[in-house]
Amino acid sequence: MTAIMLAVLVGVLFACGAYMILLRGQIKLVLGLGLITHAVNLALFGTGKLTRGAPPIVPHEQQVTAAMAGQFADPLPQALILTAIVISFGVTAFIVVLIYRRDALTGSDLAPGELATVINTSDPFAPFSSRMVMPEAADDYDILQFELDEVYDNPQAEGADE
Amino acid sequence: MNVHPTILAMPVAIPLLFGALSLLMQGIRTPHRVRVQQILAGIAIGANLILALLLLSYTLSGGRMSFQMGLWPAPFGITVYIDGLSAIMLTTVGLLSALIFPFAVATMDAERARLGFYPMALFLLMGANGAFITGDLFNLYVFYEVLLMSSFVLLTLGGTPSQINGGIRYVVLNLMGSMMLLLAAGITYGTLGTLNMAHIAVRMGATPYLVQAVIAGLLLIAFGAKAAAFPVFFWLPSSYHTPHPAVTALFSGVLTKVGMYSLFRTFPLFFPWLLDEWQPLILTIAGLTMVIGVLGAFAQPTIRRLLSFHIISQIGYMFMGLGVAMAPTPYGVGFGLALAILFLVHNQIVKTALLLGGGAVELETGTGKLNELGGVVALRPFQAALFFLAAFSLAGFPPTSGFIGKLGLLEVTFSSGSWVIAAVSVFVSLLTTMSMIRLWQYVFWGKPHSKYRMPKKLATQGASMAMTVPVLILVVLSIAIGVMAQPALDAVQVAASQVIDRVGYVETVGPELTASDLQIPFGNYPADAVAAGR
Repeated sequence: MTAIMLAVLVGVLFACGAYMILLRGQIKLVLGLGLITHAVNLALFGTGKLTRGAPPIVPHEQQVTAAMAGQFADPLPQALILTAIVISFGVTAFIVVLIYRRDALTGSDLAPGELATVINTSDPFAPFSSRMVMPEAADDYDILQFELDEVYDNPQAEGADE
Repeated sequence: MNVHPTILAMPVAIPLLFGALSLLMQGIRTPHRVRVQQILAGIAIGANLILALLLLSYTLSGGRMSFQMGLWPAPFGITVYIDGLSAIMLTTVGLLSALIFPFAVATMDAERARLGFYPMALFLLMGANGAFITGDLFNLYVFYEVLLMSSFVLLTLGGTPSQINGGIRYVVLNLMGSMMLLLAAGITYGTLGTLNMAHIAVRMGATPYLVQAVIAGLLLIAFGAKAAAFPVFFWLPSSYHTPHPAVTALFSGVLTKVGMYSLFRTFPLFFPWLLDEWQPLILTIAGLTMVIGVLGAFAQPTIRRLLSFHIISQIGYMFMGLGVAMAPTPYGVGFGLALAILFLVHNQIVKTALLLGGGAVELETGTGKLNELGGVVALRPFQAALFFLAAFSLAGFPPTSGFIGKLGLLEVTFSSGSWVIAAVSVFVSLLTTMSMIRLWQYVFWGKPHSKYRMPKKLATQGASMAMTVPVLILVVLSIAIGVMAQPALDAVQVAASQVIDRVGYVETVGPELTASDLQIPFGNYPADAVAAGR
């Protein structure tokens, strides 16, 4: 019964997480990812046996026998979950920072429609200038601007390390 | 040659040690910090390459090695295992990082170098090396995360708006892929009771087909997402064009290829029979990946966007190789896998050459937009010639490695009867050529624009050498593989025969693993037909 409840719960968490990710808006994205990572951790938890009040500890005098198998839950999945929680926590924190950064840079938590103009033309050999106007948001080369202006053309900026 | 198995800890330990040291340098406020980090990275990358070559020479002479961390016996401890495939991947990645390193030193802006490019590159190397040598499914997941975490930082280093945008997509979609891998590891442990790859291989044959299918499907999705295969490739084209060109080159040589390596490792080891049964599925993925990748490349307006769609397209060829990996051919079982490995190595070399060449053009002219470029052949004739050779190697013209790889894969697919995918791959090669000609036309032909700005830092002789010589070495390597194909084919055939030798894998990792599972039929596929347990 516990196992079935756990399985249903994992499924519900997966479904909610997937739904949240598909919604617009970055906070929902983070919450959805959180739900999905929780679902996976819970699924991992279920791979050990689900028992109550039976710690996986064998008394010092007693021998481990085959008959003991199944009496208590396997502790290994919990060690795996611990690793997985740390990793997914780190990644989620990183995503939150990225989203905060984007918010600070663009003043919006929605992604600009980068590909919209690219899809508009059907002829790959068409000259770009007449067909396509790339919006500022789609400029890939702000990275180069950054380099060229602030560092390369300004020799003393290179030496100033701190 | 005799090597002690503890050497297997070194591919992980060296980058970790030097990465940690240079990360410590981040906290020291000295003007020479970046220089020290560069020296540390140089030592680590050099040592890693030497070590990889040593392991390559050991494994290609037929040797295999495994080591149990902490000397815990096989299914309990963490196993490290090396054979021809791992050693080939270690060597290629070591070589690529050694070639990208001078490019990065010469072109990386002071800001990004100060923010910690070098430590992160070393951690990336550590994650990749760890994924190549591990013999434990959960450990594979952990090394994937090491690889991904450092790639997240490298991708967003500098924090420009386009990098952040691409970074969010990249992180989210890769996290989903990692969750699938973790779920696969969890289900494997829940049903088979082990995470050691050799032990999984022993026990897999006796599990119900449904369980096998779930695990195989999850692994296919997870590794397919890392490798950027058809339905799950979207993270790649939306992020690869944003970071510094050296970072893009490093990613193209390492990240997607680790996904392919994991597929080549796990499928023939865990469930080789599924490679036959699921061949239509895998070949469909392969065909769609190829076609969509190359068609996407036609719509792209910048050099690196175009090249990143070609990465996807080429991944399709490797999936084709995976699909025919166990197919019977006149040259024996496993010849398909051998050619897939050869194609993987070829692609790592050529793609990195193209991205370094294209990145050099972007850095030297200040733009990568095709409509703003032109006439680079007049400015940089030698670099243009190298780019031309690399592009034709990608398309598969003789006498380059692309010709050998594609010809071999075609031969295998035809002789195993999957002629539809063979026809698709030929058609895609044609489209690749067209796409490369289009790139060439826009970037290299024509008159030079007057508004190119050559950054002062790149105007020196040394910087120009650092941007050209790595590409030259890679192109020479590609042509060498094409001209002297026999040694390369011999090497990958040794590697492939080691990969499909499941019994040998288990014997190397721990002979006691089969003894403890007496009831389970286990053997090489298809020679000893494991079908009994299914």
